[in-house]
Amino acid sequence: MEQVLSVINNYLSLLFVLLCLGLILFYFLSDHNRPKISLRDIQAFRHIRREVDLAVEAGKRLHISLGRGNINGLQGGAAFIGLTILDRCARASSNSDRPPMTTSGDGVLNILSQDTLQSTYHSLGTEQRYDPLNARLTGLNPMAYAAGSMPTIHDEHVSANFFAGHLGTEIALLTEAGERSRSLTVAGTDSIHAQAVLYATSDEPLLGEELYAAGAYLGAGPAHLASLRMQDILRWVLVVAIILGAIIKLSGILP
Amino acid sequence: MKKILPTSNAIIAIISGLLVLLGYFFPGVFGNIQSVLIGWAIILAAFALLLGIFNLAMVHWKKAGTDGPSSIYSIVLLISLIITIIAVSISGPTGSLSLWIFNTFQVPVEISLLAVLAVVLVFAAARLLTRRPKWYTVLFLITVLVVLLGSVPLFFLGEVAPLVALRGWLTQVPAVAGARGLLLGVALGTVATGLRILMGVDRPYGG
Repeated sequence: MEQVLSVINNYLSLLFVLLCLGLILFYFLSDHNRPKISLRDIQAFRHIRREVDLAVEAGKRLHISLGRGNINGLQGGAAFIGLTILDRCARASSNSDRPPMTTSGDGVLNILSQDTLQSTYHSLGTEQRYDPLNARLTGLNPMAYAAGSMPTIHDEHVSANFFAGHLGTEIALLTEAGERSRSLTVAGTDSIHAQAVLYATSDEPLLGEELYAAGAYLGAGPAHLASLRMQDILRWVLVVAIILGAIIKLSGILP
Repeated sequence: MKKILPTSNAIIAIISGLLVLLGYFFPGVFGNIQSVLIGWAIILAAFALLLGIFNLAMVHWKKAGTDGPSSIYSIVLLISLIITIIAVSISGPTGSLSLWIFNTFQVPVEISLLAVLAVVLVFAAARLLTRRPKWYTVLFLITVLVVLLGSVPLFFLGEVAPLVALRGWLTQVPAVAGARGLLLGVALGTVATGLRILMGVDRPYGG
């Protein structure tokens, strides 16, 4: 019986993934001919775009913190969003005197951030701007990562910090460092505890799925817009399913 | 060659990702290849860690050579790194020397940072009303206060039963409901991110 349930569970999961993929492909193909899709205003992304422009004008640096999520696990999802933000920031500040700097707390993430910077500069034809030491591994456990990243915020003429990745409550130390150096902090993470801390400490917190909309809001391409629409639809499907489940449970149909 | 490499990187990444994903749905068919690929990923991650430590040393080597006030910290870090590598190489990762270094330096420093974190959070809560003067900020702070007061015995009063009950309800009903809502959003976002990488749209590996 358990084996049958496990097989059904596997097939349902596969169906869910295929449904997600189908919706992304559908919107990716159908939205190609649409002129522009309007997105709900999220202040944090408006501020990111403004701060990138200001940093270029003021000759200051952007700091992108990718957290310490291992990409072999679930925590990698948020880190990949951080890499998308890094790519968009590197492109937008390509004519700045000071290229963006990243900090991470995982070896693989550090290499991926170096790779992202290198391929972005390569696609812009400005390979000479690439410096592998602008993508730094600062610590491998929460407190070491926070302690190692704080000097970057203080010493590198940073005008804005974007925290996007798996970070725990230690993020409060980093947002405090940003506050002290009078730089803007925009932060999103997949950790629920850290999101509560971010609400209290960050200038612009990204809560829940807002972080995962970063690519769509920062112009990373139509696939990001399509996946955002997929998330919106499935969120409503889940909301309806939860409410229906609650009603069925309350009415006594389910034990 | 410059054009072929990114394409081949993307093909390898997409095929590997698909095989690992299928391994979760059809463990009987793709389970073995999934284990092999994850095993390779773990080995590569270990080498990436070594490269990361080399990157850390290079950053601080460069900083140590500057005249800035923080160069002394970089020198301390480099000396500590070398001493730790030698000590762990001699006594092993669980040897007495390694554990002494861990318990004498790392644990106290991390606990001190945790204490600083507590103070930072108190100040952040106090600043919150000036940062976001909204009704839900007031609600947030009142909830924090109720949960804190309901978690510890109060001076002269001991445990206040209504506060403890209210704390229990807050942490078990609205907090859990909100957290699950956030987690569902995070899960959908993670699936979308994974699928974009599997489709080859996002290529964080320089493809």
